[in-house]
Amino acid sequence: MQKNIRNFCIIAHIDHGKSTLADRLLENTGTINKRDMKNQILDSLTLERERGITIKLVPVRMNYKAQNGQEYILNLIDTPGHVDFAYEVSRSLAACEGALLVVDASQGVEAQTVANAYQAIEQGLEILPVINKIDLPSARPDNAKQEIKDVVGLDADNAILTSAKDGRGVNEILESIVKNIPAPEGDINAPLQALIFDSVYDNYRGVICYIRVINGSVKAGQNILFMQNNIIYPVDEVGVFKPGFTPVDSLGPGEVGYITASIKTLAEAQVGDTITDANNPAQNALPGYKKIKSVVFCGFYPVERDNYPQLRDALEKLCLNDSAITYEPETSEALGFGFRCGFLGLLHMDVVRERLREEYNVELVATAPNVIYEVVKTSGEIIEAHRPGDFPDVGEISEIREPYIKLSVFMPSEFTGRVMQLVQDKRGTYKSMDYLTPERVRLIYEMPLSEFIIDFHDKLKSQTRGYASLDYEFIGLRASELVRVDILVNGEAADAFSFICHKDQAYNRGHAAVTKLKELIPSQLFEIPIQASVGKRVIVRVNVKALRKDVLAKCYGGDITRKRKLLEKQKEGKKRMKQIGKVSIPQEAFLAFMQVDGEKK
Amino acid sequence: MAKKNNKNNFGLYIHVPFCEKKCLYCSFYSKKFSGEQDFISWLEYIKFQLCNFELIQREKIFIDTVYIGGGTPSVLSLRIWRELLNLISEYFNFSECREFTIEANPNTLTRDLINFWKNNNVSRISLGVQSLNDSELKFLGRIHDAKQALNAMELIKNSGLNLNADLIFSIPGQNLRSWHNSINGVINSGADHISTYQLTLDENTPLGKILNNRDLNESGYYFYRYAQYFLPKKNFIQYEISNFSRKNFECVHNLKYWYLNNIIALGPYSTGYLNGVRYKNFDNPENIYYEYLTFEERAKEYAILNLRTKFGINKLNFINKFGEKILHEIENKLINFPDDLIYIDENKIILTKRGMRLANYIWSEII
Repeated sequence: MQKNIRNFCIIAHIDHGKSTLADRLLENTGTINKRDMKNQILDSLTLERERGITIKLVPVRMNYKAQNGQEYILNLIDTPGHVDFAYEVSRSLAACEGALLVVDASQGVEAQTVANAYQAIEQGLEILPVINKIDLPSARPDNAKQEIKDVVGLDADNAILTSAKDGRGVNEILESIVKNIPAPEGDINAPLQALIFDSVYDNYRGVICYIRVINGSVKAGQNILFMQNNIIYPVDEVGVFKPGFTPVDSLGPGEVGYITASIKTLAEAQVGDTITDANNPAQNALPGYKKIKSVVFCGFYPVERDNYPQLRDALEKLCLNDSAITYEPETSEALGFGFRCGFLGLLHMDVVRERLREEYNVELVATAPNVIYEVVKTSGEIIEAHRPGDFPDVGEISEIREPYIKLSVFMPSEFTGRVMQLVQDKRGTYKSMDYLTPERVRLIYEMPLSEFIIDFHDKLKSQTRGYASLDYEFIGLRASELVRVDILVNGEAADAFSFICHKDQAYNRGHAAVTKLKELIPSQLFEIPIQASVGKRVIVRVNVKALRKDVLAKCYGGDITRKRKLLEKQKEGKKRMKQIGKVSIPQEAFLAFMQVDGEKK
Repeated sequence: MAKKNNKNNFGLYIHVPFCEKKCLYCSFYSKKFSGEQDFISWLEYIKFQLCNFELIQREKIFIDTVYIGGGTPSVLSLRIWRELLNLISEYFNFSECREFTIEANPNTLTRDLINFWKNNNVSRISLGVQSLNDSELKFLGRIHDAKQALNAMELIKNSGLNLNADLIFSIPGQNLRSWHNSINGVINSGADHISTYQLTLDENTPLGKILNNRDLNESGYYFYRYAQYFLPKKNFIQYEISNFSRKNFECVHNLKYWYLNNIIALGPYSTGYLNGVRYKNFDNPENIYYEYLTFEERAKEYAILNLRTKFGINKLNFINKFGEKILHEIENKLINFPDDLIYIDENKIILTKRGMRLANYIWSEII
């Protein structure tokens, strides 16, 4: 039986037709009736379906009768198609022996595809190139093949030409999977070793671990040990993805399925952990486990201050489903009580924000994302600085380090100049430039993550009319000449407005900040200076003029009711103001200020 | 100045909801009239109110101030005026009446009307001059020009009646020079009282749909400050946020609003105030909207309205009405304002000139 199992995944760029192809495979193997087919059945989150992007498909098991007359079990395990989830990609790949590398026949290879294909190669997977969307008039399958050869370095002569839309080539793919992807190895008599490649939380059953058994077997009732966390649970249920959770007696080597064991939190069953038999444990855990580390942070605050408990509950629940989120309570002068949340990347942050809104009905304010800095003090002590307030005084700092990324951008060559300019404006350092084809270019730069997360993606899109794709990886911390810019309102430091930036940008960003605040802070009874300073040195100053007239004289006897309502409104507005020294600043000003950088178009 | 409001007497306000043409900025209730019939049904409305006014049925109430506003009261025909004045004299006692104002528009004011009014105890005409600059008048959608306004003022002064002129500032295109000319012009025409109103655009008015109040407000400062500077030089005292007058020509009826005296309101869309309750009339005389305020709301409103005038809050009077506690509460909020905005001593609290310019800001602290 083991020799008739094939475990594979699909590597594809967003929009290159991964979900549609998966649907077609399900249909052709008879796993799902054409009638029951809702489009792209495996997209699990509503958010994904709405955005038309797939972060991760649900795994599925298909039975396939090949042309040689034998019955095969095909397990499709998906890889998240986004760099934020690079670690999860690596774990999904580790659960497979092969991968379909899907490339759009008219778009060619994109940055993300390369990164994931390399990972698959590195992990020893057999890769089957597939050229999709050949039904499109703009399809140029030969160019796509050439790019696979030139950019990824794989032989693509035998690439399968397919159209997931009209069904061409789908059977060839199935045959190729059976023929070319090796059967899983593994010893049923060895102690149990199963890789958790994903886990989800179910309200009724607790955590459901998606596993790939490497050695040994697992069945209900067995006591299993989670090797990272060193905890033991008795297995409640073992099953496979039919699709849908379908219990089976046991899972043997090479098999893909799930287990439940009344595990209460995702943190106990982390992706990448190894499950073994508690009574007969394996010697070693499977390689490759990493603790997930947040790289992008932002503050989440309820729009209405009273909704803080609601936000907390929603975050707690969400974290049951997504162990990659970190959060801790935080208070902001401007926004009240909220949480500082950590994410794997920008998309992850967006996904979480959307889910809080969609699934938990929490309206929230997200502050502009930022990164963690490392500050080396003159005393030699190293501290992590999450927010401007964590930075020590200028005199105590000997060095500040910030996270850097290696960025690769694929794009039509006509945009090269503009993209180079954009990256350089964002403090990028040029590394290399290659022509993939005469029309397509790959640029590689190194740049600070903090610049990347602000609005880089949007700017790139608008500069290249959406034709560029990008990928990045972390390359560690580097020393940078960073400064903290403080904003003084009427001579008093307003913490909420401080920010970190490169010293060359301090004037420009400081100027932008005080100008923005000048618009946001209403006139008061006296003139208010707003200054930006670095250390003790003021670099920009503007004034908010004193209020000179605030009365609408007209008020007939009959207007009194209306007049009072207007005054009450004005009063309501004042109540929501935050006092900094003698100056009242409306809540909205803080919001507008904090969202100014992170705002999307 | 001795308080000119005798608590035992009532003010009477009558709303005349007719205009020949609605001005582009006006959000008051008025409608075009198609003929005498409209006036007659309006009289029926008032008759109905009078017949059903319980307070009136018991005894003839003494009225000491009358104000007939609009709309444009001067569009009513002589015949209607006669009937109206006869009607109200059946129900009220005017023997102690000391101020009787009628609003008028320059283009509908006739010598006959003025003479009729004068013979029927009218003492004061409030004329909608708005500006003495023709292009400003045109912009506002007024149907008279500066010349007609000057003529109308002459007519009124020749009749011996007191004259108030309404002026508007912050009109797009207006400048300090034209504003000065308008003020100076009405002074030279013999006005005893000048009301200055900032152009305020309601979204539902034709001008409000094109222009935004915010565009107008900032400029209002210069005009308002100029009025505060220039009018006192001509012996006009600012006795209220928007009103200036020669000595002893303050509008007593107007002050009644700010000291919450009783005012009986007749006519659709008029607002009255009786024994602590404000009420508003609508199209159907049987539907009356009463506005009930809590004791505290009433006290704060009283403080705010008092502060509109140069007399401000008389502490003793306030304590008699609402007690000491709430006065202290209000005073504590006001004490933080700088001296150039507000004046406080043991007897009274009043806004300074600058305070009057920033009155909304100060009031919103009280409310």
